[in-house]
Amino acid sequence: MNTAPNIADPDGFYEAWLGAHEGLSDAESADLDARLVLLLANQVGDDGVLRECIAAAKAARGR
Amino acid sequence: MPAAAETWKFAPAYVLPSWPFAPPPELASGERRRHPVVIAGGGLAGLTLACDLAQRGIRAVLLDEDDTVGVRGASSRGICYAQKSLELFDRLGLYERIRAKGVTWSVGRTFSGADEVYGFDLEDDSLSEQPPFINLQQFYLEWYLVDRILALDAGLIRWKSSVARIENEADHVVVHVETPAGAYAIEADWFVDATGANSRIRDAMGLEVNASRGTDRWCITDVKFAKPFATERWTWIDAPFNEGRAVWQHLMADDVWRLDYQMSESADSESISRPDAAGARLRQQLGPDVEFEFVWIGPYQYRDHLLERFKVGRTLFIGDAAHVVSPFGARGGNNGIQDAGNLGWKLALVLEGRAGEALLDSYHAERHPAAVENLKVTSRTTRFLAPRSAAEHRLRRAVVALARTHEFARKLANTGRMAQANVYPPSPWAAQGARSLQNVALDDDTTVMRLLADGTRFLGLWIGAANEAFAALQPLTMRWPLLLRRIAADSKLARHLGAEADTLVLVRPDAYVAMQLAHATPARFEATLRATLSFDGAEPQRATETA
Repeated sequence: MNTAPNIADPDGFYEAWLGAHEGLSDAESADLDARLVLLLANQVGDDGVLRECIAAAKAARGR
Repeated sequence: MPAAAETWKFAPAYVLPSWPFAPPPELASGERRRHPVVIAGGGLAGLTLACDLAQRGIRAVLLDEDDTVGVRGASSRGICYAQKSLELFDRLGLYERIRAKGVTWSVGRTFSGADEVYGFDLEDDSLSEQPPFINLQQFYLEWYLVDRILALDAGLIRWKSSVARIENEADHVVVHVETPAGAYAIEADWFVDATGANSRIRDAMGLEVNASRGTDRWCITDVKFAKPFATERWTWIDAPFNEGRAVWQHLMADDVWRLDYQMSESADSESISRPDAAGARLRQQLGPDVEFEFVWIGPYQYRDHLLERFKVGRTLFIGDAAHVVSPFGARGGNNGIQDAGNLGWKLALVLEGRAGEALLDSYHAERHPAAVENLKVTSRTTRFLAPRSAAEHRLRRAVVALARTHEFARKLANTGRMAQANVYPPSPWAAQGARSLQNVALDDDTTVMRLLADGTRFLGLWIGAANEAFAALQPLTMRWPLLLRRIAADSKLARHLGAEADTLVLVRPDAYVAMQLAHATPARFEATLRATLSFDGAEPQRATETA
């Protein structure tokens, strides 16, 4: 799992991500993110990296 | 509005054969005789093992508490028979009968609503003489097995004979049998429990199976109708004609369709299986004009269990007595059949003194991991089909939404991963693990299974062997149960094996590859045979001459 900066345009990506959620209900937003996770997971492909990402996402749970 | 009172038609009940109870000699003489193998239970696993042993010339005894095949009248349990099972039945001489009666298929499609979201054609990976799958009602298969067994050894099956209890002794098992004409006891060198999920024999031994029961409810409706559907495996994740729940649609013999409907978890078994309720579901699916006849309606909840040890002393557990999984992917019956296929040749060689008794430990070492794998695969399917929370529903919605347009997501739609021959892990008997070999045709008009059908022997397939090296190996066939063949490096079989030139491939009697040896010498090959057979004697017995 690569945790070094790798997103070419961080602020631009974040803006696009927010933009995709605009006007959606909580349920629609959650559905959108689930689809996004699947599409991104297919870019990664590697099973070990995917499992590390799942574990890291779980560990970093905000409060 | 549906018509007020449709009259439902039922197809005439199947008339299944029955066989007479014949009082065994032990009843009159009171003599307690020793048999090499006694099998309890005449379902798929027990019958397959009995047939396999009969074909190998081992005189087993099979005890069946009933005098017919099938359960609960015309109900069919298993319907899909996988390639590895069909290949075994080819070796046992009943494949043609299965093919002629059954429905051959290889294509599966999964739908969400009206959209196909996943499809496969198992023919793409097949080089075998047998197709990926044939559908057939289980009682037909059991019937054909019985006929074949009786042709091989008329006295093998003892009907109306149930096992009351067993006693495990150091070098044999005492089996107490109850019959309509009285009780008697027989002894077995090896005893096989094939009495199914609710085995009393297993329970009386105090063996734990860690059973669990699914909360998901289903209702099978076997039905005969003339509307032409594709002879493919169709599944719906969320069918519009079943209130957004899953449905299975599969053809069996005699134009009977197996339609299996997922019900709500709170549904009442009795009310969902009434003809009125089942008929209303069918009308939703088939439309108002299609005539149909019910063959059988049956509600069920799936269950699973796994026995910890498949071999305890001289008792071996096969089929549902050892493992039960949910039905998705046809991994129940096929794995009972594969248990039998794994055990038959091992019992035969041990009983003939051509293998060490430790070889029977490999039955557990191979089939238990296979059952663990099948449990894992089927549990994943049940979880996809019955999401347990709002979050699980959300993830499945994401898969289905993307699967409509994106190929990668189709791989995640899981309505059952079809049974395959399980890979066995590395073990003392197969240092590289063991992998199934398909029934590939050889260049000279024979097949892998034909070569394995004669007695009990291994195949040594030498890919691109040099003349002198091949000749040097020939003396081994006098000492070991072995047939040697040279295989061209550019043949279909060599490609299927993925073996380099000058590789000697050791194929077991169950058509599993036990070892691939590069640049084999007679000494190294003999050492491999010795390990594969747990043979610890000084000199193996001379192989039986075969035609």
